[in-house]
Amino acid sequence: MPIGNTQPSVRSAQAGRAGGAAVTSSAHRKGARPRRAGGGLRAERYAPYILVAPAVLIIVVLRLYPLLLGVNFSFTGDGEQNGTAVGFGNYRELFADPLFQTALRNVGLLVLLLPVAVAIPGLLATFIYLRVPGHRFYRSVYFFPAVLSPVIVGAIFNMLLAFDGPLNAVLGSVGVGPVDWLGDPDLAMYMVVGVHIWATFGMALVVFLAGFATLDAALLDAARVDGATLRQVVWHVIIPALSRTIQFVFVTTMIGMLTSMFGLLYIMTSGGPEGSTYLPEFYIWKQQGQMNRPALASAASTILFMIMLVVGLLQIKLLERSGKED
Amino acid sequence: MRQRAMWSAVLVVGLALAGCGSASDSGKSTSSDGKLVVWDWKSGEPFAKSYLEKVKADFKKKHSDVEVEFVAQPFDQYYTLLGAAIQSGKGPDVMLFNGGGQIRDRVDALVPLDDYVAEDKQRLAGWEAFTKDSKIYASPVTLQGYPIYYNKAIYQKANLDPASPATTWDKFSADCAAIARAGAKCFALGNKEGVGIQFWLSSLGSTTLTAAEYDAWIAGKRDWQSPNVKRLFQLWKEAGDKKMNSDGANSTAMFNDSFALFQSGKAAHVMGLMSDVGHWQDFNEFLTPEKLGVMKAPIITAGTTPSLPYDGGIGYAVAKWTKDPKVAADLARSLSSADALKAFYADAGAIAADTTIDVSAAGPAAATLVSELKSGKPALHVALSSKTLDLMGRLSQQLLSGSITVDEVVKQLAASDQAG
Repeated sequence: MPIGNTQPSVRSAQAGRAGGAAVTSSAHRKGARPRRAGGGLRAERYAPYILVAPAVLIIVVLRLYPLLLGVNFSFTGDGEQNGTAVGFGNYRELFADPLFQTALRNVGLLVLLLPVAVAIPGLLATFIYLRVPGHRFYRSVYFFPAVLSPVIVGAIFNMLLAFDGPLNAVLGSVGVGPVDWLGDPDLAMYMVVGVHIWATFGMALVVFLAGFATLDAALLDAARVDGATLRQVVWHVIIPALSRTIQFVFVTTMIGMLTSMFGLLYIMTSGGPEGSTYLPEFYIWKQQGQMNRPALASAASTILFMIMLVVGLLQIKLLERSGKED
Repeated sequence: MRQRAMWSAVLVVGLALAGCGSASDSGKSTSSDGKLVVWDWKSGEPFAKSYLEKVKADFKKKHSDVEVEFVAQPFDQYYTLLGAAIQSGKGPDVMLFNGGGQIRDRVDALVPLDDYVAEDKQRLAGWEAFTKDSKIYASPVTLQGYPIYYNKAIYQKANLDPASPATTWDKFSADCAAIARAGAKCFALGNKEGVGIQFWLSSLGSTTLTAAEYDAWIAGKRDWQSPNVKRLFQLWKEAGDKKMNSDGANSTAMFNDSFALFQSGKAAHVMGLMSDVGHWQDFNEFLTPEKLGVMKAPIITAGTTPSLPYDGGIGYAVAKWTKDPKVAADLARSLSSADALKAFYADAGAIAADTTIDVSAAGPAAATLVSELKSGKPALHVALSSKTLDLMGRLSQQLLSGSITVDEVVKQLAASDQAG
């Protein structure tokens, strides 16, 4: 009996989410009928619910309930108005705050820069796959930054990008004037995103390399025999074959950018200069910890949650669609 | 689809029912009888050891049956953690605060201490920073001030007299030109966090605003359109335009990159602190006590008298939810007792709130500072709310980069200041 049961579940996982659900539900139906006919062991009917209860309880008590409390809290006031309902007051204040607008605009900027953040590991992985000279060396070196904590990465780049730092010294030696990399509001956000990409692309690279491992080498050989150039090979063979990997990297990189840039921001710019590098996360931390506005911070958190929800739903849509294509 | 709609409806109704004002306002104490919990960010440091011993000894004389537990929190998370504690109405009985906005924003959760600390009012200085609506909420431990330190070695190199620094702004500007020719910057400035402008405002406030304007500012009647207030921001911009500041001020952290620039002799002046960091003890270590000077603010508006801007630096407050406020207040008093503060001054390198402590062993700079305490006044920026300070930090960065005018700056600050 155990052997008979495990096999379909393994197969369903391989078949992807949509297929998997269908397999399990049909299995459930088939399994339920003989049991009911066999005398209705009530305990056994409730068994599945009891077995999933701990997991459900943990999610409900530690995740969903606090989430609802947070949303509820965002409709109350701060300071003297602590505990009194203020309706959408906090949300109105948020959208009127130029700093929060900057934070949302920066989220937009991150979305725009996403293709770059995906293309870099994608290209480098392609080169490694195509065995450029020294590809073994690069494969390990590229992953190094991914094991450093954002605080350390931030501190390193703070020194490199300082006004009197080495990067400006190098620029000075070729006659280019110093640039205030982290002090110029038009540049700072790009620098922080650049450093974030540098620090995290190793992970995406590994995912790409795993994707390449499943690539059918015969396709590449066939393309070469047909006389395809490198560009044509990348465009017509590699990208279509890796479409699911690319989608996966897109989604994980987006989530990484939205949720784990706080450490870098805190160390490199503290949201400045002139508030130009604020992201919702940093705004929430600032309002809660520094400005003593926990309810306003909850409202900002709720908005960030909504953004993440949209990204998450898009992710599910994308994965479902690619599952159907298969 | 129908099921999904039903679940959303359940969710919305649930939220609406719960939304009729939840949040917190319970007033329970976490401490059991006979135990007080203290939160701070100092007690974990090695220098605090003898201070804590003195505090505990003093407190034992009053309440031998009450146990005291110190919980050291990381400073960068301190107010976040404290905010959570206040929100839940449970937390430490006694807690450490920075003076000014940090404590004033949170007085809802604190017990007024006026009745308990009456005896200490003469001995200790710096009460103003822990006072809101003429009620005292914490007993001061250290004083925090914003003196202008200068490097006498650079003065000599620039052929200036280290014994008599400039007393007027015009002379000071001329001195800075001489210092620039000697290859050093006039000010070591770090404004990455937007804190540089706060020190600027307070260090130069007493010689820019008239005495009446100064007192009105501290009392909360701030005229942002006054020419003297605008002058402070104009000078800030000018100092940036004339390259008097160290390079890349907007990307230099004040703590502690800008102080490092001063210590390493790359800049002649720094607007520093009196306690904790960026102060006489740190600078003595690198520059030696003979080379470190403290100067009065150069006079900017004729007829003004320079005074040292200072406030209570850190102080211990008592939480509203503590069981017996009298016992907790006694602990706060022990934390500011004479012996304890003497140990704090000697080991931590701070100007303690007890002005009777002899500091002659700490070098001429510290002695000058303590001698100026009597005529000192509360610092201008400490009177502002954290929201206005945050805005001022961003606007000051814009002034340095030239993307805003002084008129626009004072307009925005006035609006934020009025909003509270």
